[in-house]
Parts: sequence; structure tokens; C-alpha cells
Amino acid sequence: MDNPATNSAKITTFCCNWSVLPGLRLSNLSTDEEDKIIVTMCTGRVGPELIMQAFEYGAWGVLICACPLGECKHDANYKTLRRILLLKRMLSQLNIEPERVRIEWIDTGEVAKLQNAVNGFYDEIKKLGPIK
Amino acid sequence: MAKPKVAFYWNASCGGCEEAVIDLAEDLLKVADAVDIVLWPVALDFKKKDVENLKDNEIVASFINGAVRTEEQKEMAELLRAKSQLVFAFGSCAHEGCIPGLANFTNREGIFERVYKTTESTKNPEGIFPKVKTKVPEGELTLPEFFDTVYTLDQTVEVDYYIPGCAPPPDIIMNAFTALLEGNLPEKGSVLSPNIALCDECDRNESKPEKLEIPEFSRVHQIEIDPEKCFLAQGIICMGISTRSGCGQRCINVNMPCRGCFGPLDGIKDFGLRTMAGIASIFALENEENLSEEDLSKLMDKLVDPAGLFYMYSLPSSILRRKRMEEK
Repeated sequence: MDNPATNSAKITTFCCNWSVLPGLRLSNLSTDEEDKIIVTMCTGRVGPELIMQAFEYGAWGVLICACPLGECKHDANYKTLRRILLLKRMLSQLNIEPERVRIEWIDTGEVAKLQNAVNGFYDEIKKLGPIK
Repeated sequence: MAKPKVAFYWNASCGGCEEAVIDLAEDLLKVADAVDIVLWPVALDFKKKDVENLKDNEIVASFINGAVRTEEQKEMAELLRAKSQLVFAFGSCAHEGCIPGLANFTNREGIFERVYKTTESTKNPEGIFPKVKTKVPEGELTLPEFFDTVYTLDQTVEVDYYIPGCAPPPDIIMNAFTALLEGNLPEKGSVLSPNIALCDECDRNESKPEKLEIPEFSRVHQIEIDPEKCFLAQGIICMGISTRSGCGQRCINVNMPCRGCFGPLDGIKDFGLRTMAGIASIFALENEENLSEEDLSKLMDKLVDPAGLFYMYSLPSSILRRKRMEEK
């Protein structure tokens, strides 16, 4: 097993184009390959299959940054939340820490919140280490 | 001209796929007339050695049912692959893992512990477990290795076609045989059933509301199910939304919801997750905006055993394939 203390945690972040991208541009995070931040048109599009594919490609944790509840034009963030709640249950049954998937609600321009969400998640996933 | 050679074999399965071939009824005689069956353990007395004596690719097609969970099954799958021009994964176990694949929620140790020690009817004070090799006065007895994990056929050998279903219905089987004999098989890798969702052909489709919104899910024993109405509209989870058709609505016709034995439509990577996503989408609560994440989470707990439900037929072919076991 990789030693988490000596390895950088690999996290993949999916961000909503409408609420999160403006803050992302103002933050010191980037969408280049290193930060593994993927902007999607709506987090309603980030299905559980996509999340699990990130794990398949080696992610240790997946963070989804969505519009705050009630603010998504398509109400898709409610769907995303329900899917993630169910996914976490399925992951627990399969003995994978459900904490490896997290959803955060970020409003337009909440730069510090976004930055903290990514950094906080990174720190926690680093403690968990890779999926065995 | 010599008839094309065909083999049938069984791995980890229930025997239903053998029964499904017999269910061809008179059509089975047509098949038997058109081909030379070189292996079919359930019906004919050919041995492994007979297959070993064939030349590579001498068998035109091998129809292999069952998942792969022992060394012997792997060996037979590899032998038949080498001797066959085409390999058909026959039935849901070979295709996706099916019910034997639910063993991937545990491992060999867990299964042996339950079967040989803790079942209510087991008496095994000496703790005797199956072993690959056992010495007896007469010599050494061997058993095939029992794997920790159940595999689909295509995780073991290359598979050319998939005949879906638990078990495949006679028309799907006969269509596959006919396509093989007439040289009309589609592109390699195809699943030989229509690539449309079961919902599309379901007799109850018309009773499905324009916009499906389900405030609460029920299990089949909890409500009296209307035999004419869409299961989802009644709050019963039905997986026809992502399952390919071709089954003839066998479960729907006996008033049971689809559980996905025909497997996913083309393009779906993980059947359980895609189905769960669809079901979660229509789980609509009237006052959702007033609910906290915690409230919603409690409501989700009412959906009992989501992994077992959504992966009922497909755990070994899912992205995770199995439950992660603790290292010792």
C-alpha cells in the first residue's frame, strides 16, 4: 500500500460551471491537469458512474461543488444530492469509506469557501490514503 | 459436409440455463440436426479429454453459462476458448455475474465459515473445510481452488457474443442459434437482444405518468400491487428504465418488478449505478427544499440494501466488482 504520509492525495473535483466557475477563476486553483478540477455544465450531469470512474482512474476522493440547494435552475443539485446519499450507502456496503465522496454547496464568488472546501477535502483524503 | 461443432458448458450457475436450452422444445431438434454437439455435460457423456483432443478453433461456437469462481471453471473456459472460433456468454451469470456474483459481498473465508461452520444445520466440530489437496491412505485427493472473487466470463477469457437473461428465453436463444447458423451475427461484442429499454416495450408504459415523481418507495410485500399500472408510479423500484428488453416481460407479467437480469443498454458502464441514478432522480419529495441533508439522508435509509438491490445481477461486472475486504 502507498504510504499516505509520503504521497500526495489524489482528489478529483467536479465544479458547476454556473455557480462555481467564477469563484474558481478568482481562486488560486486551476483547471489544469495537476489540480484535477473538472468543470461541468451542471452537477446534475455528474452521475455516480462518473464519480466511480474517477476512482477507477486512481482518485482517492471525489469532491462535487454544486450550486447551493434551491439555486440550481434545473433543480438538478437535489438529484445530485440524492444520488450521492445513495452512492455513499452503496460504498459503505462495499467497504469503501463514504467520506471519499463529498458534496459542497458553493455560491458564485465564494472564493474562500471553494478554496477551503478543496483544501479541507484534500487534507482529509490524505489521511484516508488510497483505496486498497 | 461436416456439421459445425458446438459445445455447451456450465460454470457457476443454477442449471436454469441448461433448462433454457431444453425449453427450445421442438426447435432443439432442429438445432441438434444442424450441429454436431461435442460437449454438453448436462445431457451428453463427453469428457474434458474429448475437447482436449480437438484441434484449436475446431469448435464453431461454445455456449458457456455460469460465472467463474473456481480454478476448474477457469480452466474449462480457457480450454473451450482455445478450441472455439466463437465464445458466447450464455445467460446472466456468464454475462454479468448474476446471483452467484452476490458472493462478491464476501470472500472464500466468509463463505466457507458460513457454509461449513455456522449454518443452523451444520455440525462440524472438527472444523473440516474443503482443501485443494487432502492426503488419505489411498493417496491424494484434489479439489479445484475456490476463488475469493466471482468473475464474469469475459473477465476470464475473450467473449464474442452475449446472450442475456436469467435464464435466456427460448426466442432469444433460437435467434442466436439461427444467426450463427445463417452467418448473420452482428458485430463482435454484441449483446444479442434489442438495445431498447424494457420500459419502452412494457405493457404498463401507458400508465406511467408524464413526469414520474415518487415520494416514497415501497417493497413488493408492503403494498397490494396494481397489475396494470407502472411499478414506479406505484412506488415500487423497477429497473426496466436501464435494462435491455428481450425478456418478454416475464417478471412484469407475474406482477413483479424488473431486477435487471438482461443487463444494461449499450453504453452503460455500471448498470447498478446508472439505475440508482435514475431512481434517485425520480425520488421527489414535496417539501424537499425544507428538508435538511440529514432529513434526506434518513429518508434514503428507508431504501433497504441499495447495493444488493441495484447490483442484484451485476456486481462482478460493476466498476468496483466486489466488496473490499479487510487485510489481515
